[in-house]
Amino acid sequence: MSFNVLIVDDSSSMRSVIKKVVALSGFKMDQCYEAGNGKQALELLSKVWVDIILTDLNMPEMNGLEMLAALKGDSLLKEIPVIIISTEASDERRKAALEMGAKHFIKKPFSPEYVKKVLYEVIGVGDEGTYEGNERDNDGGDF
Amino acid sequence: MKEMKEIMMAAIFDAFERMFYVFLEPVGDGCSVYDVGASIKFSGVLKGELKIFASEGLAKSMVQNLLGVEGKDVKEQDIEDCIKEAANIICGNFLGRFDQTKVFDLTMPSFLRLPSETMKERDVCRLYFDSDGERFCAVLTLSD
Repeated sequence: MSFNVLIVDDSSSMRSVIKKVVALSGFKMDQCYEAGNGKQALELLSKVWVDIILTDLNMPEMNGLEMLAALKGDSLLKEIPVIIISTEASDERRKAALEMGAKHFIKKPFSPEYVKKVLYEVIGVGDEGTYEGNERDNDGGDF
Repeated sequence: MKEMKEIMMAAIFDAFERMFYVFLEPVGDGCSVYDVGASIKFSGVLKGELKIFASEGLAKSMVQNLLGVEGKDVKEQDIEDCIKEAANIICGNFLGRFDQTKVFDLTMPSFLRLPSETMKERDVCRLYFDSDGERFCAVLTLSD
Protein backbone atom coordinates (compact mmCIF):
# COMPACT_ATOMS: atom_id res chain seq x y z
CA MET A 1 0.00 0.00 0.00
CA SER A 2 1.41 3.41 -0.95
CA PHE A 3 0.05 6.89 -0.44
CA ASN A 4 -0.32 10.19 -2.25
CA VAL A 5 1.18 13.04 -0.25
CA LEU A 6 0.66 16.81 -0.54
CA ILE A 7 3.35 19.10 0.89
CA VAL A 8 2.33 22.74 1.40
CA ASP A 9 5.06 25.25 2.18
CA ASP A 10 6.01 28.60 0.65
CA SER A 11 9.68 27.62 0.75
CA SER A 12 10.61 25.38 -2.17
CA SER A 13 13.71 24.31 -0.22
CA MET A 14 11.59 23.22 2.71
CA ARG A 15 9.21 21.35 0.40
CA SER A 16 12.23 19.51 -1.02
CA VAL A 17 13.49 18.75 2.47
CA ILE A 18 10.15 17.42 3.68
CA LYS A 19 9.79 15.33 0.50
CA LYS A 20 13.27 13.92 1.04
CA VAL A 21 12.61 13.26 4.73
CA VAL A 22 9.37 11.44 3.92
CA ALA A 23 11.16 9.35 1.27
CA LEU A 24 14.13 8.60 3.56
CA SER A 25 11.80 7.66 6.40
CA GLY A 26 10.66 4.65 4.41
CA PHE A 27 7.07 5.84 4.22
CA LYS A 28 5.50 4.28 1.15
CA MET A 29 4.84 7.29 -1.06
CA ASP A 30 3.23 7.06 -4.48
CA GLN A 31 2.67 10.60 -5.81
CA CYS A 32 4.08 13.64 -4.04
CA TYR A 33 2.35 16.91 -4.87
CA GLU A 34 3.56 20.34 -3.81
CA ALA A 35 1.88 23.70 -3.24
CA GLY A 36 3.30 27.06 -2.20
CA ASN A 37 0.38 28.13 -0.01
CA GLY A 38 -3.10 27.08 1.11
CA LYS A 39 -4.82 28.57 -1.92
CA GLN A 40 -2.64 26.64 -4.35
CA ALA A 41 -3.20 23.50 -2.29
CA LEU A 42 -6.99 23.82 -2.50
CA GLU A 43 -6.77 24.38 -6.27
CA LEU A 44 -4.66 21.25 -6.58
CA LEU A 45 -7.06 19.25 -4.42
CA SER A 46 -9.89 20.05 -6.85
CA LYS A 47 -7.98 17.98 -9.43
CA VAL A 48 -6.17 15.22 -7.54
CA TRP A 49 -6.77 13.06 -4.48
CA VAL A 50 -4.20 12.81 -1.71
CA ASP A 51 -4.10 10.56 1.34
CA ILE A 52 -2.30 12.95 3.65
CA ILE A 53 -1.32 16.64 3.77
CA LEU A 54 1.78 18.06 5.45
CA THR A 55 1.56 21.82 5.77
CA ASP A 56 3.40 24.81 7.12
CA LEU A 57 1.45 27.50 9.00
CA ASN A 58 3.09 30.78 8.05
CA MET A 59 2.47 31.22 4.31
CA PRO A 60 1.37 34.10 2.05
CA GLU A 61 -2.12 34.39 0.53
CA MET A 62 -3.64 31.57 2.58
CA ASN A 63 -1.91 30.27 5.70
CA GLY A 64 -2.05 26.75 7.07
CA LEU A 65 -4.86 27.33 9.55
CA GLU A 66 -7.03 29.05 6.91
CA MET A 67 -6.45 26.11 4.59
CA LEU A 68 -7.30 23.68 7.39
CA ALA A 69 -10.58 25.53 8.03
CA ALA A 70 -11.42 25.38 4.31
CA LEU A 71 -10.68 21.65 4.20
CA LYS A 72 -12.86 20.94 7.23
CA GLY A 73 -15.69 22.88 5.59
CA ASP A 74 -15.60 20.67 2.51
CA SER A 75 -17.63 17.47 2.71
CA LEU A 76 -15.12 15.53 0.58
CA LEU A 77 -11.79 17.00 1.64
CA LYS A 78 -12.50 17.09 5.37
CA GLU A 79 -11.50 13.44 5.71
CA ILE A 80 -7.92 13.99 4.51
CA PRO A 81 -5.59 13.90 7.52
CA VAL A 82 -3.51 17.05 7.96
CA ILE A 83 -0.16 17.27 9.76
CA ILE A 84 1.19 20.70 10.63
CA ILE A 85 4.96 21.19 10.31
CA SER A 86 5.91 24.56 11.70
CA THR A 87 8.32 26.60 13.76
CA GLU A 88 5.34 28.29 15.43
CA ALA A 89 4.64 25.62 18.01
CA SER A 90 3.37 27.37 21.12
CA ASP A 91 1.04 25.32 23.31
CA GLU A 92 -1.90 27.51 22.34
CA ARG A 93 -1.20 27.41 18.59
CA ARG A 94 -0.77 23.65 18.72
CA LYS A 95 -4.00 23.22 20.67
CA ALA A 96 -5.87 25.46 18.23
CA ALA A 97 -4.62 23.48 15.24
CA LEU A 98 -5.56 20.15 16.79
CA GLU A 99 -9.00 21.46 17.78
CA MET A 100 -9.51 22.62 14.20
CA GLY A 101 -8.91 19.06 13.06
CA ALA A 102 -5.18 18.71 12.44
CA LYS A 103 -4.02 15.20 13.28
CA HIS A 104 -0.58 16.11 14.51
CA PHE A 105 1.83 18.98 15.00
CA ILE A 106 5.52 18.56 14.17
CA LYS A 107 7.88 21.27 15.26
CA LYS A 108 10.83 22.28 13.08
CA PRO A 109 13.59 21.17 13.23
CA PHE A 110 12.54 17.53 12.95
CA SER A 111 14.09 14.11 12.37
CA PRO A 112 13.13 11.66 9.58
CA GLU A 113 12.39 8.96 12.18
CA TYR A 114 9.89 11.13 13.96
CA VAL A 115 8.19 12.18 10.73
CA LYS A 116 7.85 8.50 9.73
CA LYS A 117 6.35 7.61 13.12
CA VAL A 118 3.82 10.40 12.87
CA LEU A 119 2.91 9.60 9.26
CA TYR A 120 2.16 5.96 10.03
CA GLU A 121 0.29 6.82 13.21
CA VAL A 122 -1.86 9.37 11.47
CA ILE A 123 -2.64 7.30 8.43
CA GLY A 124 -3.23 4.22 10.57
CA VAL A 125 -0.87 1.69 9.01
CA GLY A 126 2.27 -0.05 10.18
CA ASP A 127 5.72 -0.06 8.61
CA GLU A 128 4.73 -2.88 6.27
CA GLY A 129 1.67 -1.03 5.06
CA THR A 130 -0.79 -3.16 7.04
CA TYR A 131 -3.78 -1.45 8.58
CA GLU A 132 -3.44 -0.99 12.31
CA GLY A 133 -6.31 1.31 13.14
CA ASN A 134 -6.05 5.03 13.54
CA GLU A 135 -5.08 5.83 17.07
CA ARG A 136 -4.14 9.41 17.58
CA ASP A 137 -1.22 10.68 19.56
CA ASN A 138 -1.73 14.29 20.40
CA ASP A 139 1.40 14.87 22.40
CA GLY A 140 2.65 17.27 19.77
CA GLY A 141 5.87 15.37 19.64
CA ASP A 142 8.53 17.98 19.50
CA PHE A 143 12.06 17.31 20.61
CA MET B 1 19.76 40.28 28.61
CA LYS B 2 22.16 37.48 29.36
CA GLU B 3 19.25 35.05 29.39
CA MET B 4 18.07 36.31 25.97
CA LYS B 5 21.54 35.69 24.56
CA GLU B 6 21.65 32.20 25.98
CA ILE B 7 18.22 31.37 24.59
CA MET B 8 19.15 32.77 21.16
CA MET B 9 22.43 30.86 21.20
CA ALA B 10 20.60 27.59 21.96
CA ALA B 11 18.03 28.26 19.22
CA ILE B 12 20.79 28.91 16.67
CA PHE B 13 22.77 25.81 17.59
CA ASP B 14 19.64 23.66 17.47
CA ALA B 15 18.64 24.91 14.01
CA PHE B 16 22.11 24.62 12.51
CA GLU B 17 22.97 21.23 13.93
CA ARG B 18 19.64 19.55 13.23
CA MET B 19 18.52 21.21 10.01
CA PHE B 20 21.65 22.45 8.24
CA TYR B 21 24.27 20.08 9.69
CA VAL B 22 26.69 22.96 10.20
CA PHE B 23 28.60 23.39 13.44
CA LEU B 24 29.11 26.97 14.50
CA GLU B 25 31.69 28.27 16.91
CA PRO B 26 30.83 31.44 18.83
CA VAL B 27 33.37 34.22 18.42
CA GLY B 28 33.58 37.47 20.35
CA ASP B 29 33.45 39.83 17.43
CA GLY B 30 32.73 39.69 13.74
CA CYS B 31 32.92 41.67 10.57
CA SER B 32 30.26 44.13 9.49
CA VAL B 33 29.79 42.97 5.91
CA TYR B 34 28.07 39.76 4.87
CA ASP B 35 26.94 38.37 1.53
CA VAL B 36 23.36 37.40 2.36
CA GLY B 37 20.88 37.77 5.16
CA ALA B 38 17.25 37.54 6.16
CA SER B 39 14.94 39.45 8.42
CA ILE B 40 11.82 38.32 10.25
CA LYS B 41 9.60 40.30 12.61
CA PHE B 42 7.58 38.88 15.47
CA SER B 43 4.89 40.17 17.79
CA GLY B 44 3.21 38.98 20.96
CA VAL B 45 4.33 39.45 24.55
CA LEU B 46 7.70 40.10 22.96
CA LYS B 47 7.88 42.24 19.84
CA GLY B 48 10.86 42.79 17.62
CA GLU B 49 12.96 41.63 14.73
CA LEU B 50 15.58 38.99 14.12
CA LYS B 51 18.15 39.52 11.41
CA ILE B 52 20.64 36.89 10.40
CA PHE B 53 23.68 37.36 8.18
CA ALA B 54 25.95 34.85 6.50
CA SER B 55 28.95 34.69 4.21
CA GLU B 56 28.26 33.15 0.82
CA GLY B 57 30.32 30.05 1.60
CA LEU B 58 28.31 29.31 4.71
CA ALA B 59 25.01 29.93 2.91
CA LYS B 60 26.08 27.49 0.18
CA SER B 61 27.03 24.87 2.75
CA MET B 62 23.62 25.27 4.39
CA VAL B 63 21.88 24.70 1.04
CA GLN B 64 24.10 21.72 0.17
CA ASN B 65 23.42 20.05 3.51
CA LEU B 66 19.73 20.91 3.61
CA LEU B 67 18.94 19.75 0.08
CA GLY B 68 21.69 17.17 -0.34
CA VAL B 69 23.07 18.76 -3.51
CA GLU B 70 26.59 19.43 -4.82
CA GLY B 71 28.05 22.93 -4.57
CA LYS B 72 27.86 23.44 -8.34
CA ASP B 73 24.14 22.72 -8.25
CA VAL B 74 23.32 25.40 -5.67
CA LYS B 75 21.16 28.11 -7.22
CA GLU B 76 20.65 31.69 -6.11
CA GLN B 77 17.01 30.93 -5.37
CA ASP B 78 18.05 28.04 -3.13
CA ILE B 79 20.29 30.35 -1.11
CA GLU B 80 17.50 32.90 -0.73
CA ASP B 81 15.01 30.21 0.29
CA CYS B 82 17.42 28.59 2.70
CA ILE B 83 18.51 31.75 4.50
CA LYS B 84 14.88 32.86 4.86
CA GLU B 85 13.94 29.44 6.25
CA ALA B 86 16.86 29.63 8.66
CA ALA B 87 15.56 32.96 9.99
CA ASN B 88 12.10 31.43 10.35
CA ILE B 89 13.34 28.35 12.19
CA ILE B 90 15.71 30.24 14.49
CA CYS B 91 13.07 32.84 15.34
CA GLY B 92 10.37 30.24 16.03
CA ASN B 93 12.80 28.17 18.07
CA PHE B 94 13.90 31.24 20.07
CA LEU B 95 10.32 32.32 20.84
CA GLY B 96 9.30 28.79 21.84
CA ARG B 97 12.23 28.63 24.24
CA PHE B 98 11.45 32.12 25.55
CA ASP B 99 7.85 31.21 26.43
CA GLN B 100 6.20 28.06 25.09
CA THR B 101 2.82 29.07 26.56
CA LYS B 102 2.50 32.34 24.61
CA VAL B 103 1.43 32.80 21.01
CA PHE B 104 3.67 34.84 18.73
CA ASP B 105 2.92 36.01 15.21
CA LEU B 106 5.76 35.90 12.72
CA THR B 107 5.94 37.83 9.46
CA MET B 108 7.12 36.26 6.25
CA PRO B 109 10.93 36.37 6.23
CA SER B 110 12.52 38.79 3.76
CA PHE B 111 15.81 38.24 1.97
CA LEU B 112 18.70 40.69 2.29
CA ARG B 113 21.46 40.76 -0.35
CA LEU B 114 24.80 42.28 0.61
CA PRO B 115 23.39 43.37 3.96
CA SER B 116 25.34 45.81 6.03
CA GLU B 117 25.15 44.89 9.67
CA THR B 118 24.37 48.19 11.38
CA MET B 119 24.25 48.99 15.06
CA LYS B 120 20.85 49.84 16.49
CA GLU B 121 19.96 51.40 19.80
CA ARG B 122 17.59 48.65 20.84
CA ASP B 123 19.77 45.66 19.98
CA VAL B 124 19.22 43.07 22.67
CA CYS B 125 21.76 40.62 21.47
CA ARG B 126 24.28 40.34 18.73
CA LEU B 127 25.98 36.99 18.26
CA TYR B 128 28.89 36.17 15.98
CA PHE B 129 29.92 32.71 14.82
CA ASP B 130 32.61 31.08 12.74
CA SER B 131 32.43 27.82 10.82
CA ASP B 132 35.68 26.79 9.11
CA GLY B 133 36.42 30.40 8.25
CA GLU B 134 32.87 31.18 7.13
CA ARG B 135 30.85 33.75 9.06
CA PHE B 136 27.40 33.99 10.62
CA CYS B 137 25.78 36.69 12.72
CA ALA B 138 22.41 37.07 14.43
CA VAL B 139 21.00 40.35 15.69
CA LEU B 140 17.89 40.52 17.87
CA THR B 141 16.14 43.85 18.23
CA LEU B 142 13.16 44.48 20.48
CA SER B 143 10.59 47.22 20.02
CA ASP B 144 7.73 48.58 22.14
